[in-house]
Amino acid sequence: MPARLIDTAEILACRILAIDDEEANVLLLRSLLEREGYGDVHCLTDPTKALAAYIDLAPDLVLLDLRMPEVDGFQLLEAFARHDRADEFRPVLVLTADTTIQARRRALSLGAKDFLAKPFDVIEVALRISNLLETRMLYERLRQA
Amino acid sequence: MSPGPTRPAMRQWADRPLAFKGLVVVALPLAILLGALFSLYLASNAEARAEDDVRRAFAIQRDTYQVHALLAEAAAGVRGFALTREERFLEPYRTAEAQLPQTMARLDAAIRDPQVRSQFERLRGLTARKREGLARIVALALPAAASGADRAALEQALNANKIVLDTMRDEIDNIQRREAVLLDQRRARVQDVRDRFLLLTAVSALVGLLGSLAAVYLFSTGIVRRVRQLENNAESLARGEPLAQLPEEADEIGRLSHRLSRASALLRARERDLRESEERFRLVVEQVRDYGIFALDPEGIVASWNAGAQRIKGWRSEDILGQHFSRFYPPETRSFLPAQMLERASAEGSAEDEGWRLRKDGARFWANVVITALRDENGTLRGFAKVTRDITERRRSEIALRMAREEAIAANLAKTEFLSRTSHELRTPMNAILGFGQLLEIDEDQFEERHRAAIRQITRAGRHLLALINDLLDISSIEAGGAELRIEPHAVRDLIEEAHALAGPIVAGAGLEFRLDPPGEGLTALADRRRVVQVILNLVANAAKYNRTGTFVQLSCTGGEGFIRIAVEDDGPGIRAADVPRLFTAFDRLGQEDRSRVEGTGLGLALSKSLVESMGGAVGYEAPRGGARFWFTLPRADTARPPRAATLQLPDETTPCPPA
Repeated sequence: MPARLIDTAEILACRILAIDDEEANVLLLRSLLEREGYGDVHCLTDPTKALAAYIDLAPDLVLLDLRMPEVDGFQLLEAFARHDRADEFRPVLVLTADTTIQARRRALSLGAKDFLAKPFDVIEVALRISNLLETRMLYERLRQA
Repeated sequence: MSPGPTRPAMRQWADRPLAFKGLVVVALPLAILLGALFSLYLASNAEARAEDDVRRAFAIQRDTYQVHALLAEAAAGVRGFALTREERFLEPYRTAEAQLPQTMARLDAAIRDPQVRSQFERLRGLTARKREGLARIVALALPAAASGADRAALEQALNANKIVLDTMRDEIDNIQRREAVLLDQRRARVQDVRDRFLLLTAVSALVGLLGSLAAVYLFSTGIVRRVRQLENNAESLARGEPLAQLPEEADEIGRLSHRLSRASALLRARERDLRESEERFRLVVEQVRDYGIFALDPEGIVASWNAGAQRIKGWRSEDILGQHFSRFYPPETRSFLPAQMLERASAEGSAEDEGWRLRKDGARFWANVVITALRDENGTLRGFAKVTRDITERRRSEIALRMAREEAIAANLAKTEFLSRTSHELRTPMNAILGFGQLLEIDEDQFEERHRAAIRQITRAGRHLLALINDLLDISSIEAGGAELRIEPHAVRDLIEEAHALAGPIVAGAGLEFRLDPPGEGLTALADRRRVVQVILNLVANAAKYNRTGTFVQLSCTGGEGFIRIAVEDDGPGIRAADVPRLFTAFDRLGQEDRSRVEGTGLGLALSKSLVESMGGAVGYEAPRGGARFWFTLPRADTARPPRAATLQLPDETTPCPPA
C-alpha cells in the first residue's frame, strides 16, 4: 500500500454500510471488507430499511446497489442528499450490474462519489473504498480545524 | 318605305330635331290662319269699295235730281217773275244760282263711269245754257227794260228755255237711268264680294283648324308611337330580351333609341361574358369529384350540390336540396355541432372540423369539413359554402401508421429493455462468482494444490462466461439497432496507429512480428472510432491466436472508390476453404473445439461483422498464398454518405452502452 495521509487504522475503523438486495453480493462485500481489516461493517438486503439505517448508523461510506425492489438506489441517493447537511462529505460508492451510461450519469449526478460495474474486481473495489474514506477523513479534519 | 325622290326629303325631315319639328307643326296652321286673316282683310277692303260706289251712285242720283229740281223751280220762278215782275218769284232762281255750282262740282267729283261722264258733260252744257237763258229772261223781265219790244224776245227766250229744260230733263233721266243700272251692278258686286268673303272665311277657318289638327295629330301620334316603341325597348332591355329594330333617325328619340340599342348590345355582351364565366365556374364546381362542394342558406338549408358531394355523401342533388345540413351529422353530434359550426363560421369567417359524418345509407365516413361564411358587399350574411373531403382512408392509414410506429417503438423499447435486464440479471450472479473466486485466488496459499486448480478453473470459466455475455449483448444491441454509434470523419492513419499501439502487446505476446503498413495522409473514413479500433483489435487478436506456425501479423490500409479497406494478414496455417462460408457465424469456432488450445468466445468475427455493417461497411476473408487475410471497409468521408444504421437510432435514454 502506498503511503497515506491518514493512518490506516483510522480508515479501517470507519463505519461502512453496504446495501444490496442480493444476499451473495452482500456476503462478498462483507468478506472482502473483513479480509481488508475493516471492523465496522453493516450490511442490508432490505432497501426499505436503508434510510433508517443510514440515519441511525451515520456511516462514513455507503456501498449502494441501484436495481432493487420497492426502493431503488436512485431514490436512496436522493433521500441521503436530503438528509445530509450541506457541508457533509459522506461518500456513496455505487456498485451495479446496470452498465448503461444513463445509469452511470444519473447516479453520479444524484451525489454518488464513485461508480463501479458488476462484476467488479475485488481489489479495485477495496482500493476505491479506502481512497474515498481517506478523502472523507481529510475533509472531516479540515472541517474541525 | 318606297324608294324615290321623296326619300331624302323624308330623311331630312326625320333627322330634324324635335324642337324644329314642333315649331314647324305649330307654324303651319298659324300660317294658314294668317293667310285667312289677310284674305279677310282684302275682302273687307273690296266690300268697302263696293259700298262706296253704291253710296256715290245714290249721291249722283240725288244731285242730278237736285240740279233738275233747282233748275225747274228756277225756271218756274223766272217765268212767274216775267209774268208778274214780282221780285219774290226770283227767289228759286237765286237759290239755284247759288247752289248749282256746288252741286255740279260734287257731281263732277263723284262720277266715274265714262258713259255717265259724257251725259254729265252734256248736262253741264245744258245747265249752263239754261242758266244763261234764265239770266236773259230775268234781264229782259226787269222793270227797267220791260218794253214791248222786249216782250217778243222774252217769250222767245222763255220758249227756248223750255226746250233746254226739256232736253236737260231728258239728260237727267238718262243719267238717272244709267246710275240706276250702275247701282244695281254695284249692289250685285257688293253681294258677290260679301259671299266670297264669307266662303273664304269659312274655308280658311276650316282648313286652318283641320290642318293644325292633322299636323298636331300626325306629329304627336308619330312621336307617341316612337316613344312607345322606345318604352317597349326599354322594357325589353330591363327584361334582357332582344330589342325591336327601330328606324334610325337622327332626332332626340332616334338618338335615344340608338343609345338604348347600344346599351342593349353592351349588356348582352356583358351578360354573355358573365354567363360564360359563371358556366365555367359552375362546371368546375359541379364536376369536382374529390371534394363535396355545396352551398347553404343562412339557416343551413342545402342550396346547391356538386358531383363530389354526391359521391361522398350518396345524396343526389334533387333529394337533398332544401334539407337542413345537420342530417349529415351522426346522432351524437347532430344536436349541437351543426349550429356551432355555422356560429363559428359567421363569427370568424370560416370554421374547420374533422369528424364522423353520415352518408345517405347511414354509413359513416371521416370527414374534413370547412364552412365559409358568404357575405355580400354590405356584410349581410347570404349563406355558407361548405367543402367536405372524405379522409376516411387517410385517417385509417394514418392510424395504422401511427400504430405501426408505436408498435415498432414499443418493440424496440422492449428489446432494449430486455437486453438491459438480461445484462443486469447475468452480471449480478457473475459478480458473486468472480468476486468470491478472486477472493479465493488471493488466499490460495491456504488451499491444497487441487483446490487451487479448481479455484483457477472457476475464475477462468467465470471470465470466459463474462466475455461471452459481453459479446453476446453487444451483438444483440447492435442488431437491435440500439448500439450507440458516433459516426464522424476520422483520419484512417490515426485509427490504424491507435489499434497498432493497443494490439502491440498481444502480437508480441504470441511471439510474432507486428508489421504496420500505414496509409497516406488525408484518407478519412466515416466511422465510430472506438468500434473501428475494437474490430481491428479483434482481427489482430485472432491472427495472433491462430498463427502458431508463422512469423508475423500485418495491418494495412488502402483507399478505394468511396471506401477505405483495412486488412489484417498473417502467415499462419490459414483457413480451410470448406470452413470459409462459416467464418462469420456466431459460436462457430471452426473445429477449434479444443478450448484449452485457443481461448475465444466464438463471437469475435460475428461481432466485428455486425459492427462494420452498422457503420455502413463490409467484412470479408481471402486466402493469400500461405496465410489468412481478413479485411473490412468503411465509407470514405469525402465521397460517402453516413450509413443508414447511424440514422436509425431511437432517441431514447435506455440505449445500452457497451460493456464496461
